[in-house]
Amino acid sequence: MRRMALPIAIAALLALAGLVMVELLRPAPALTQAEQAQGIAGELRCPDCQALSVAESQTAAAAAIRRQIVEQLGSGRTPAQVRAYFVARYGEWILLAPSSPVAWWIPVAAVIGGTGMFAWWWRRGRATVAPAVLVPGSGVREQIREEVEQLDA
Amino acid sequence: MRVPWLRLLIVPLVLVPLAWLLFTGLGRDPRLIPSPLIGKPMPAFSGTTLEGEPFSSADLAGKPAIVNFWASYCIPSCVDEHPVLLDLAARHVPELQMVGVLVNDTPEGARGFLARYGEVSWPNLLNADGSISIDYGVTGPPETFFVDARGIVVARHVGPLTPAVVAQQLAALGLTP
Repeated sequence: MRRMALPIAIAALLALAGLVMVELLRPAPALTQAEQAQGIAGELRCPDCQALSVAESQTAAAAAIRRQIVEQLGSGRTPAQVRAYFVARYGEWILLAPSSPVAWWIPVAAVIGGTGMFAWWWRRGRATVAPAVLVPGSGVREQIREEVEQLDA
Repeated sequence: MRVPWLRLLIVPLVLVPLAWLLFTGLGRDPRLIPSPLIGKPMPAFSGTTLEGEPFSSADLAGKPAIVNFWASYCIPSCVDEHPVLLDLAARHVPELQMVGVLVNDTPEGARGFLARYGEVSWPNLLNADGSISIDYGVTGPPETFFVDARGIVVARHVGPLTPAVVAQQLAALGLTP
């Protein structure tokens, strides 16, 4: 069972990576302008409320932003240009999700790094236990004790 | 297998800074994030004043200006800063230009506020569709933008203006407070 842990972990990671790739490569369905506007409103933070998107909020500021989104899309701007317009005025803060790709890769890097560290720890544990069983008595036991004490110091 | 105590230290060494980062990060006021407009040309705007006159930001060109976002329902902050604005106008207009912009307010509400707390000499724009507030990234009244003579935004103040804030910003605009 222990022998299988590393292959299982690698297989799970590969499956996860595969799902991410499928999600990234799948062509997005064509959206109507109203759906696009609704989508952008859902990504923007309502400026005068707490933890609500512009799409969810009933405040006048949110309504004004929703109107602007519709107007700007109507005048031919792309959703990316509309988002950039609001970021240029309110800062990154207006986006509910971070736009920097670094923020999205940190958890992936943490999972891969953690799996790697776990595998290293697992293999190291097995490697050091095995020879200890084979060595009975003699000066080797003394040597091991000294080395362990040096490690602990 | 004995676990060396040094290795156990890794857990608090990682968790304590992380917890501290989250704790302080969540406690910060998002309204205090610096405006991305600082150092950039002021967003242009035009509209109708409370008196029904047309007004354009082009009218501010050539002199330092302040753009003050306010509302009659903004109590007590806008009431608190009103005497500071009146004093500023009395001492520095016309070397400094001032313009008020209403945030989601009615003309009646704004006129009532001015009648109660003091009539002003500078124009106040209705901004009925809220587009000027969006162009300046205003999160809520009161908010004040300081613009230099070249039309570059030099500072934004969130919350009521105080004499100390005004003195500091006037100096930054090259005026004697």
